[in-house]
Amino acid sequence: MNKIFLFALILLVAACGAADKEEVTIYTHRHYDVDQQIFDDFEEETGIHVNVVKAGADELIERLVSEGDQSPADLLMTVDAGRLVRAADANLLQPIESETVSSTIPDKLRSADNSWVGLTKRARIIVYHPDRVNPEELSSYEGLADSIWNGRVLIRSSSSIYNQSLMASVIANLGEDAARQWAAGVVENFARNPSGNDRDQVKAILAGEGDLAVINTYYLGLLLNSADSQEAQAGEAVQIFWPNQEDRGAHINVSGVGLTANSPNAENAIALIEYMISQEVQELYASANYEYPANPNAEVSDQLKSWGEFKEDELPLARLGELNDEAVIIFDEVGWP
Amino acid sequence: MRDTSAWSVATLALVLILALPYIAFTSGLLAGTGHKWSHLMTYFLNKFFINSVILIVGVGFLACLLGISAAWVISRYELPGRKVWAILLYLPLAIPTYIMAYIYVGLVGYGGTTTKLGQWIGVDLPSGNIMNIYGLVWVLSLSLFPYVYAAARASFSKRPAALLETATLLGASERKYFFSIALPMAKPAIIGGLLLVCMEVLNDYGAAKYFGINTFTTGIFRSWTALKDLQSAVYLAGLLIAFAILVTLLIRLARGRKSYASNSDSGGPVKRVKLEGKRKVLAFLIVGFPIIFGLILPIIQLFMWVIPAFDYASFYENIWITAQSLFVAAMAAILTVATAIALLFFSKWNALSFIKRLPSISTVGYAIPGAMIGIALFSGGRYFVDFASEQFGWRIGYLVYGGLPILLYAYVFRFLAVAYYPIEATSLRMGNQLAEASYTLGGNRFNTLRKIELPILKPALWAALILVFIDTLKELPLTLILKPYDIDTLAMVAYNYADEEQMTKAALPALMLVSVVGLLSFLFEWWRSYSSKAKDG
Repeated sequence: MNKIFLFALILLVAACGAADKEEVTIYTHRHYDVDQQIFDDFEEETGIHVNVVKAGADELIERLVSEGDQSPADLLMTVDAGRLVRAADANLLQPIESETVSSTIPDKLRSADNSWVGLTKRARIIVYHPDRVNPEELSSYEGLADSIWNGRVLIRSSSSIYNQSLMASVIANLGEDAARQWAAGVVENFARNPSGNDRDQVKAILAGEGDLAVINTYYLGLLLNSADSQEAQAGEAVQIFWPNQEDRGAHINVSGVGLTANSPNAENAIALIEYMISQEVQELYASANYEYPANPNAEVSDQLKSWGEFKEDELPLARLGELNDEAVIIFDEVGWP
Repeated sequence: MRDTSAWSVATLALVLILALPYIAFTSGLLAGTGHKWSHLMTYFLNKFFINSVILIVGVGFLACLLGISAAWVISRYELPGRKVWAILLYLPLAIPTYIMAYIYVGLVGYGGTTTKLGQWIGVDLPSGNIMNIYGLVWVLSLSLFPYVYAAARASFSKRPAALLETATLLGASERKYFFSIALPMAKPAIIGGLLLVCMEVLNDYGAAKYFGINTFTTGIFRSWTALKDLQSAVYLAGLLIAFAILVTLLIRLARGRKSYASNSDSGGPVKRVKLEGKRKVLAFLIVGFPIIFGLILPIIQLFMWVIPAFDYASFYENIWITAQSLFVAAMAAILTVATAIALLFFSKWNALSFIKRLPSISTVGYAIPGAMIGIALFSGGRYFVDFASEQFGWRIGYLVYGGLPILLYAYVFRFLAVAYYPIEATSLRMGNQLAEASYTLGGNRFNTLRKIELPILKPALWAALILVFIDTLKELPLTLILKPYDIDTLAMVAYNYADEEQMTKAALPALMLVSVVGLLSFLFEWWRSYSSKAKDG
């Protein structure tokens, strides 16, 4: 009797397993409403349900490590290339076998083995107050170490991954010693102890605490379109300067996605990636979230167009992840909090 | 009693189960420091230590000042609207520290609400940068003082009427009565509250990170994430725990060995003193200050964010998230309080004195950063999962990672202190005479517990339930790491948006968090006064 019961139970459990609908599970560090909309559209189009787990990329990577081959995750999505490199280094990712992906997304926005691919780009730019800064004196990130900017530079703390990636790009382009000197020079020029987020830096310009700030393009888009009138005002008060246009180009980073090594639904996962890099979806990212599309065929939104065309650093983004440690160590050494 | 050894074993077993994360943690420590350890020591150790001391002393002092004075006014004097003020004073606790940090930047920061108000009334109001360590002390104190207030109030309002009458008969002044009788009697409870404040301060991550202040906890994250050195992060957490134990010992030392047991809580309800004139104004100021700065202004700021960006879709979504949060928090609160009761009484019933001391070790979980607990549980759980898969071919990964049981266990581990200290404090005040009397009359441990001790502890139990409930609602890093795939909590959603610099979206879940806690507090208070009336009448 008991055995029959047990058998029935096993059958039941097996049946439940077999009746599972098509799905894909994504671990994501992106907390934007537009993402949910894209997942919903994908489900409607393909019938594949998207499970979303939102948390910080570091927690998600740790979770993937612990889960090992029993992980339910198919995709890992981050807001920077550095963490994707970290996941790849920890053998948590596998190559994305897709002709569409390799033909659509430029090489420098993907890892060499295609284990991750950039979805959207953000540029780290200089914004300044037009009354207090003569834009002709601006040139490059390196220029911010010049003594004319003493007490005028606003930038957030070095715990920001965006600053870590910027420093990594400086190391990659100029070498470690020059990067250290540069960082020490910028620290000398701080208008205040680094604190707050990118939006706070712009507000501090308007308030006169500093004259220029280093921020991400997409936060400027959010500020300008904020429901808060004061925020919009702060965004409108500053001008954009694209750094390093005479040499290597402005530093960019990507928000990207990697295919997990133990993905139980790899096929669905690749279908989702292909969907996310399609022209239509890429244009949605650009218009709803002020990010630059990784797909070169996608049109940028009017807001992004208004900031003009710019030359971007051609450094393969994988280098940002590789040099992240060194970047953090230099920040600590020069006393950049 | 004969069965004391069984209770020694039971206490030990419970303490061991609660020590599992420590075991995972210790095995991490045995693996040695990581490759970035000397770097961390060179550039950070001083800063971590100095900043943590400033924060603990600053917040501890301010929280005691705000909490004790407000509790005294509420329980000693008759003020118009007293019951409402009494509840409102708990509510700042509903605002997570990192949200309070964003709120204050929104209130007085550049282009903030103060500036807008100034423009509206045509005056140039000052605004400024509060993102420094003193700003952090201010923000943390306002969000955490209710721990002290709750503890002090529970103690003040239970003080025996006979003592007060005696003191008044002997001609003691109000001040003398407060400092010589009421305060010393409330000391164990206040110290319990203060300990919670200190642990919360050490554990804060979001606010310190936003303000750019280096603390042990931000250092742990820096080591783990930016420097990719988990091993050194574990060591930093070890240092943090040592620091927390040191703080605990220092504070417990201050409590002294004196016992203030009293079984004469009876004697009828204490008559509150009516105030007139200047003293009435002063009393209102004492109660009003923390309510205005800890609750009303923050709520106004949240509304300033919510209103321009409001839409019904996200409102309904947040209602659903609220329901999930309540469910998880209720489960966590019940389990944690049950564990605290078991721990308290098992250790009380056992005869070995060293085992009596063990429970306070189990409560140090409060000082370990939530993220570290999460990692410890994951790495510990991994042995378990691997073992099951190698030995039996079971694939139980889904149960261990992202299941509700492990999240609940983590909450119990993390919040045991919150439940344990208020219950312990009341139990200390209750003393042991009643229980001994019951044993003499032939009562056994369980019916004594059920019929005598638990009913006396009831207010403390409810207080513990509510505190753990609120803490779980606010909890962040643990929930982020361990949460099941299909559960969202208000705190998590609020943090995710805040971290992405979208305060207009973060404000709605934050506001719901405050509303839920507010509503619950009012219900709880109503129930308490209703049931005490029913008892009296």
